[in-house]
Amino acid sequence: MSRATNRGFDPVSLEIYWSRLISIADEAATGLLRTAFSTIVRESNDYGTVLMDRNGDSISENTGGIASFSCILPRTTKAFLSKFPAHTWQPGDSVITNDPWLATGHLPDFTVVTPIFHKGGLVGFAGSIAHSPDVGGALWSADCRELFEEGIRVPPSRLLRAGEWNAELLDLFLANVRVPGQVLGDLQAQVVANEVSMRRVAEFLDDTGLDDLQELSRVVQERADSSMRRAISALPDGAYHATIEADGYDERTTRIACTVRVRGDTMEIDYAGTSPQIDRGINCVFNYTHAYSVYPVKCALDPLVPRNEGSYRAIWVSAPERSILNPVYPAPCSARQLTGHLLAGAIYQALAPVLPERIIAECGGAPTMRALFSGIDRGGDRFSQILFASGGMGAGPHRDGLSATAFPTNVGAGSVEAYESAAPLLVWKKRLRSDSGGPGRFRGGLGQEIEIELRSRGPARLSLLSDRHHHPAAGVCGGAPGAPSMIALDDGSRPHPKSRSTVASGRRLTLLYAGGGGYGDPKTRDRDLVRSDLANGYISAEAAARDYGLEAAP
Amino acid sequence: MTKPARRARIGVDVGGTFTDLVLHDPERDLVHTGKLLTTPEDPSVAILDGIVRLLREVGMSPAEVHSIVHGTTLVANAIIERTGAKVGLLATAGFRDSIEIGRETRYDLYDLFLEPATPLVPRFLRREIPERVSAEGEGLLPLDEDAVAVAAAELVERDGIEALAIAFMHSYRFPAHERRAAEIVRALYPALPLSLSAEVAPEIREFERTSTACANAYVQPLMGRYLDRLEIALAEIGFLGRLYVMLSGGGITTVNDAKNFPIRLIESGPAAGAMAASFLARLSGLDRVISFDMGGTTAKMCLVEGGSPDHKFDFEAGRVRRFQKGSGLPLKISVVDMIEIGAGGGSLAHVDDAAGTLKVGPRSAGARPGPVCYGGGGTQPTVTDADLVLGRLDPHYFLGGEMELDPERVRRAFEEMIASRLGLAIEASALGVQRIVDETMAAATRLHFAEKGRDPRVYTMIAFGGAGPVHAQHLAALLKIGRVLVPFGAGVASALGFLVAPPATDMVKSHVTRLERADWNEINALFAEMRERGVRLLLEAGADPEEIVCRPSAEMRHVGQGFEIPVPLPSLHLSAADLPAIREAFFSNYRMRFGRTVEDVPIEALSWRLACVAPAEDIRLGASAFPDAGEALAARRGTRKVLFASHGWRECGVYDRYRLAAGARFSGPALIEERESTCVVGPDTVVSVDEFRNLILEPA
Repeated sequence: MSRATNRGFDPVSLEIYWSRLISIADEAATGLLRTAFSTIVRESNDYGTVLMDRNGDSISENTGGIASFSCILPRTTKAFLSKFPAHTWQPGDSVITNDPWLATGHLPDFTVVTPIFHKGGLVGFAGSIAHSPDVGGALWSADCRELFEEGIRVPPSRLLRAGEWNAELLDLFLANVRVPGQVLGDLQAQVVANEVSMRRVAEFLDDTGLDDLQELSRVVQERADSSMRRAISALPDGAYHATIEADGYDERTTRIACTVRVRGDTMEIDYAGTSPQIDRGINCVFNYTHAYSVYPVKCALDPLVPRNEGSYRAIWVSAPERSILNPVYPAPCSARQLTGHLLAGAIYQALAPVLPERIIAECGGAPTMRALFSGIDRGGDRFSQILFASGGMGAGPHRDGLSATAFPTNVGAGSVEAYESAAPLLVWKKRLRSDSGGPGRFRGGLGQEIEIELRSRGPARLSLLSDRHHHPAAGVCGGAPGAPSMIALDDGSRPHPKSRSTVASGRRLTLLYAGGGGYGDPKTRDRDLVRSDLANGYISAEAAARDYGLEAAP
Repeated sequence: MTKPARRARIGVDVGGTFTDLVLHDPERDLVHTGKLLTTPEDPSVAILDGIVRLLREVGMSPAEVHSIVHGTTLVANAIIERTGAKVGLLATAGFRDSIEIGRETRYDLYDLFLEPATPLVPRFLRREIPERVSAEGEGLLPLDEDAVAVAAAELVERDGIEALAIAFMHSYRFPAHERRAAEIVRALYPALPLSLSAEVAPEIREFERTSTACANAYVQPLMGRYLDRLEIALAEIGFLGRLYVMLSGGGITTVNDAKNFPIRLIESGPAAGAMAASFLARLSGLDRVISFDMGGTTAKMCLVEGGSPDHKFDFEAGRVRRFQKGSGLPLKISVVDMIEIGAGGGSLAHVDDAAGTLKVGPRSAGARPGPVCYGGGGTQPTVTDADLVLGRLDPHYFLGGEMELDPERVRRAFEEMIASRLGLAIEASALGVQRIVDETMAAATRLHFAEKGRDPRVYTMIAFGGAGPVHAQHLAALLKIGRVLVPFGAGVASALGFLVAPPATDMVKSHVTRLERADWNEINALFAEMRERGVRLLLEAGADPEEIVCRPSAEMRHVGQGFEIPVPLPSLHLSAADLPAIREAFFSNYRMRFGRTVEDVPIEALSWRLACVAPAEDIRLGASAFPDAGEALAARRGTRKVLFASHGWRECGVYDRYRLAAGARFSGPALIEERESTCVVGPDTVVSVDEFRNLILEPA
């Protein structure tokens, strides 16, 4: 009989308990995802649900959302605990913040944490993060010069106290957003998600007879930690370096210098030498830098063991204060993803010499490229519609990169028919972009080409968040870069890639999404694959000859 | 000489390994089953052999058969194994890649090298046709008819396609261009099978609709040939009745309809299981049931409420990873809403060295090499092997004694592969396998209940499939379900579904509108058109027009949300006066699923559905079907020790299921054995046998 006690767990009970805690986080996530109004939550999977123990250390996170919220949410929870000590929490409380430095690095994400009580005692916390439909301020722009322009900041506050909503806080907050009904709806969804976790944890403790989560938390963290350490130990000790560049803002190119130091079973990721912070919203707050540094390491080294607080203990991340990867308050940071998404490419490039079998080339979809049109439709209604689409993923050692697929984020794309039904926008093309995949033994994923006609009443606002116009995704291990991105109107003008512009009705906008980098020398690519790429139009005849050295068919 | 009355009905399920048959003769209340190996090169061979044999065994002739209902895995297999037709696609200019670009997500966040689901139509067979209609139906670009003719000629004559799919933007609502293109192609190549997206799946979202049209085209030539051959062969043996085909939604339809839309048959086998559970629920008057069908590779759970299962309108075919959502090709078809997970008798147990834990599934030993105990060369312990170590299976009475199991080999495998690596005893390892597989199934089932906003505690579990009755009681306990019903012939019960499925059809039209701005005349016209089509089809299937029931519903959401929920509508003739009732129906459904409502955000409908159903012919399972049954004591044939997670080793009474009569009642722990399965009953349980010979397990 393998019955669990609070001291240690047999391998069977541990497997059962561990997977049950993950499925609790998944169940919470399902409810959140299905009832959220935020299109970012839905299409960008920009949400997460995390279970934590009494100390605020994460035990499990949902399977599908944004990776590594499991290492941010505990930090936020500890900030809550320092403001509201453990003994002050009551059943039915929930606390909230969107402070970029305490939470996920920009204002639009709300973190809501709810305590879990069992048999009268505090046993843990349920946390959820979701990208809000609005936070006021200059929505959708990287051009703000200070945080204050980017929206309303809610410091750690009680959202509910013993089951009662904090009406004054809500009034103040909702008075500062454009779509209060939807914003409130999503906050409710987050609270409901936390309550699901709360109920399920109580059931779990009842079913198993455990008094609390502490010992289980310790054990699963230790398992995750030792698994990551084993994977790091397999790497040779040493310092591995890479520097990458991105377009940055206007003339100020972003430079990311990355040194990965492996010592025994630990890894240090150091961004010394990285560009300084700037007065535009592409600064990447350190919490986000940390999350997007450890996630790619997890994918490459230890993809299978479930994540929790322990997964990342062996990895130390540092970035100089006042650098673009560790800006200080009140730096603008609303588009911090334009910088944070680049980190995976830098880390993989640094590790390529020692880990060529486990990494991929840079991705065209890192950072993501977004276009938002807003204005008045022909019926006189306001519209505001985000275009979700991705560039190509970098190639790997045994496989071409996926076309039109983002990494490190996991952004979906909605349907064009649904997009056209919701706003006066007509999409004339959404197709793969020939020759955009970086040549290599394995080819980078293709970017795509989208052409949109604006059919609004009067001019509309276009907000763009994009990069890789001048810095395409690099290849690795001898592979070539993918095609850069490009955004132009049919009158030949180029709207600002990270700011807002006005577009006249009737204009057509073309967006070319960047391709992924190639892996390995393109001249060594299997000739049948080159011919098949040619037959399917993934590459042109010129590229087949020029990049791959394919002799023309007789 | 009088003509023999056509009275018997036969269900035939062609599976990957076995072809299962079930015959019902209402005059004698007789249910008779048969099983033989599938003949993959021509499945109709096994079907005919099976039917002839079944009829001989019950002393009937083919002319006495009223109808045959057929289900098959051919469609699913063709897509998994990529053995379908060479298909071409005509798409709106600018959109030929929509089936390749897809939803742009990675189905596994941590796998840098994941394999995508390859589209059924490669890019060089996808042609772009200049044409365009806006979301509101404005003609922006006329159909380039010459381009259609040229593309079709190239695809047929140069590329040698065997079927063609046509999918244009917004055709779910404005199908004229698709229809005209089809006319042009048909005039040139009258024999070429065509699949129009506006007919196969008239729903908004171009990727899913086009994918469904391509999948339909992909299996159309194959299924057309197959069904033709089967009809002829049945006629040759003297069958004069009607041949029906089982749909993924659990209804049955005509052969002709099946040939037009073969993709709708893809889940016909699993649907039969759900229909069988529904029938058993109706028979026993159970309103809230969770069916649990556990076989060799998978377990399927389905909620059955009010005697019928729910439906959903999304399905994924040909998954790269069988149990990984998002790794397959999306299909917009009506399927029974059930979950299927990688937990079955053949699920493999292994030690995960990285995490230091024991894992079970989702990989399966399959039929070959099979579990270790079969002696077919399997070396990795499975769930069935664990059940043997735990005493739940009798090594001498597996498949009624047809197969001798080898417990010693199993113990050695457990020792080597699991026990020694985890520092556990062999029995503890086997118990671990059982606990983990049951917990895996419980977790998936809990999530399913939660997604539907239901509380498992008020449900009865109906358990069948070879491994279902073995695991049912423990699974029910994990879900806090008090009552378990195990039908007679649990190992083959799912075939009953073929006999009790109603003639049915599901139709849909997308038309996106906010409720308060809806043009009800247009929506009523959509319903009228769907009703006309549905009734015509059911009449062809032999339904009585008086008895056809039409159920309208709509897929609704708040404006701004991305997921729709199905909402039943009050009638086929709606007006603004129905608005309050429709809104209330939406809110109550929303509240049930999500526990809250959002009052001040407008509601929109995306798609309008009509389900048309004729009554099913429920069959009777009378006493005459069960000779020589008696009381519990007479059925008891010994005892065996079983290891229970909750109670340790316990001596269990072993009962012969075939000798247990209605009204028998006894206490657990017990094992009730029948040919294809064993029902495991824990301590503190009372078993009773009801009038239909179902076993009812309840807490003592």
